[in-house]
Amino acid sequence: MEPVHYVELLNQRYRQQGFPPYEWTVNEPATLTPLDKPLSECRVSMLTSGGVSHCSMPDWDAHARNDFRLDTVDPASSSTDFAVNDSYYDTDDAQQDVNTVFPIDRLRELAETGVIGSVSPRLWSGFMGRIYKRSHVNDVAGPAFAEELLADEVDLVLLVPA
Amino acid sequence: MIEAAGISTVLVSTGRDLTELVCPPRSLFVNFPMGNPFGPPTATETQRSIVSAALHLASTATAYGSITDWAETWPSDFSDKVAASLLAM
Repeated sequence: MEPVHYVELLNQRYRQQGFPPYEWTVNEPATLTPLDKPLSECRVSMLTSGGVSHCSMPDWDAHARNDFRLDTVDPASSSTDFAVNDSYYDTDDAQQDVNTVFPIDRLRELAETGVIGSVSPRLWSGFMGRIYKRSHVNDVAGPAFAEELLADEVDLVLLVPA
Repeated sequence: MIEAAGISTVLVSTGRDLTELVCPPRSLFVNFPMGNPFGPPTATETQRSIVSAALHLASTATAYGSITDWAETWPSDFSDKVAASLLAM
């Protein structure tokens, strides 16, 4: 199957509903930070925006709008202790095995086998659903998240929009 | 902004055209349905391979905005899942 043309399909859908053309965010290249050490020495964190919540936390609102809740996830958590709620995609597989969108078991294994140095003390779930306040992401939520990663001395982040 | 703070990032994406617009520093495009960027449930080897390949991009990708294509494709047509996602958007 060829890659899905989501942009074209969404533009068509919005047109059919009578909405004005959607203003897609188009970012320009910015700072690129290469790793300055081998992957086997790196501390790795992970962020999913796929509506993944640990059982100790409330479920995400599958239809969330501008929800800037950001959960920390203990990297020692059992992968069977998560719920997945997101109306943007079919969550059946993720509910069966959260590693399809939040590969917490696989990250731990890569640390145990020395492929990566370690898993960071906090993993993350947030920026979920429909976020239209782009300036808040750029000016507040994004920089605040970067500060948390710096506090954990993270070298590399795996970003998973689901 | 994470990269500007000195931390490398890698994005694993199931929407190639969306990724081209967003232009993250480096990405692995996996032509699987949304919800399965690391493969099917319990497919441990596939999941591990994709995670590992993505993380290694942090060492090998040198150009901002580079998108690397995962060679394997989903074993079946997932147009029905795409249609359902579009209805929710």
